[in-house]
Amino acid sequence: MSTKKKRTPSAPSDSWVVIAADSVVDSKRRDADPSFVKLKNPRTDTVSLYMLGSGDTQLYEVKAFDEDYHSWFIGQTVQQDGRLLFITPLDPLYLLLPYLLHAGKEKFQPIEQLLVDENFPACSRLLNCPCSLSHIAEEKEVGSLKFFRYSQERTLDWLKKKVDRTVVALKKKNISVGEGVKSATYIKVKTESDCPEEDYLRYAHGLISEYLNEDLSNALLKHLNLPEVTSPKESEPPSKKRKLSDKPVEAGEDYTKFNSADFARKPPKKMTAAQKTLAKVDKTGMKTMSSFFSPKVKTEK
Amino acid sequence: MDLGPFEENNSVSCRLSSEIPSMCLEEDCCLGIDEAGRGPVLGPMVYGICFCPISKKEDLKDMKVADSKTLTEAERENLFEKLDEAKSFIGWALQILSPNTISTSMLQRSKYNLNALSHDTAIGLVQYALDCGVQIKEVFVDTVGPADKYEDKLSKRFPGITVTVRVARDRVVKGWNFTEQLGQVDTDYGSGYPNDPKTKAWLLKYLDPVFGYPQFVRFSWSTAQTLMDSKSVTVHWDDDEEGGEKGAQRLKNKSMLSYFGSSAAAQSQTAAHRFFSDRRLKNIDTL
Repeated sequence: MSTKKKRTPSAPSDSWVVIAADSVVDSKRRDADPSFVKLKNPRTDTVSLYMLGSGDTQLYEVKAFDEDYHSWFIGQTVQQDGRLLFITPLDPLYLLLPYLLHAGKEKFQPIEQLLVDENFPACSRLLNCPCSLSHIAEEKEVGSLKFFRYSQERTLDWLKKKVDRTVVALKKKNISVGEGVKSATYIKVKTESDCPEEDYLRYAHGLISEYLNEDLSNALLKHLNLPEVTSPKESEPPSKKRKLSDKPVEAGEDYTKFNSADFARKPPKKMTAAQKTLAKVDKTGMKTMSSFFSPKVKTEK
Repeated sequence: MDLGPFEENNSVSCRLSSEIPSMCLEEDCCLGIDEAGRGPVLGPMVYGICFCPISKKEDLKDMKVADSKTLTEAERENLFEKLDEAKSFIGWALQILSPNTISTSMLQRSKYNLNALSHDTAIGLVQYALDCGVQIKEVFVDTVGPADKYEDKLSKRFPGITVTVRVARDRVVKGWNFTEQLGQVDTDYGSGYPNDPKTKAWLLKYLDPVFGYPQFVRFSWSTAQTLMDSKSVTVHWDDDEEGGEKGAQRLKNKSMLSYFGSSAAAQSQTAAHRFFSDRRLKNIDTL
């Protein structure tokens, strides 16, 4: 097949294939249908899709398994978009964190005031999610009003717990975390106990950093007492050196068995059109390639 | 000839055979191989072997089973009956390669071309005869490619086999049992050869925009492919050839140069963690 096909971009489809946590649909309240919302991604500050369920009291993140050359057969229809959506619970603190961070450590403010974002108006709905802001902020109570101020210390302690929990989950799920393992399908002979704790910590830190901005991710790395990532140059193997030996160096194989004469005897093969035109070129005064490689004695004769 | 086993499941390769004449187990035998239905875009390809004791060759000639291509279908059927009557010394075996087998072989990731498929089928049949204990001493083979001489030679020296494979193919094509739910199928598809206008018209009529053709059609034939490319939905497979930089870019191949840059650290900040990238998981912003 030599035909080149042009790939048309996926047309928006009106159905999706979704794997969701039971709690998304097991809502006790009839009026509390889950809905997709666009919120600020805490790592990139750009828009990402999330889901709010159970009357906005539960937050989920939406991840798509997206690989080339996939489509769905759904009932009696075909869907070009072969994505598989995963809707999994997410701690709302990760999404609240950027807003508190942005407000800074200057003054205490009511959370309602902090969660105003004209780019992402849906962010105020996060207020309905039950979560303890005291993990990431200091709190002051004046009468019935609560005021919050971002606390780096509390946040890092909270994130460290997240990392530790992730390490437990990684071990439980037997996930390969070693630096040398680049493929999830690669099967390790070594048992998991051989894997140093640092590899787990670093891997878990990487996972948690998916929900943090760069500065916070680096601060967490220090907080975990993990050294900075070693540059790839240091891990490069040393350049090859000839082994020191008194013995004379000998070739491992006998290359003299084949010389140009052996090749010359071969019957001429069918030539392609390009080779034929090349063969017609005027070759007077040209040396053959092999002449450069034959022993010097011959050329002297 | 009972085609039952093939008609039960006509999407696979099926072997049919006669009983082995006891003479063939004791005397030195000659064996001929031939094929029918190599060229058509429709229906199966049938390979067959026929064998008899060398001492009975003259009897075969006396039956006047000449080159089947010059005979009508009815005449061939008659001849086949004659051969069947001679089952005390003539044995045969067939391999019916369904169009689906041909399509999937030729279009699989590691291409298995028609010649290789043909050779392996022929070899398989000869092996079958040997395994059954037939004392084969001479084999006449139809060669693939521009070898009319060989073919003539074969059909002259061993006409029985040509008749058998042709009869089998005709019967299979005639009584094709469509597994697809197509309702009343129009069976007026002509010769089945790609250059037959009737065949082409039939191919157009039964072209589904999503699935292409019924299994009766050899998808690997360029006739079928060209029609599908122009009339039905484009389907992309990950072994589609796609040359050039654009292809590489789409496959997310990295440029060689990128490995020498010093931006490795910067890249790791923008790329998703390998837990997600390994699993092809990403955030989305729209549905």
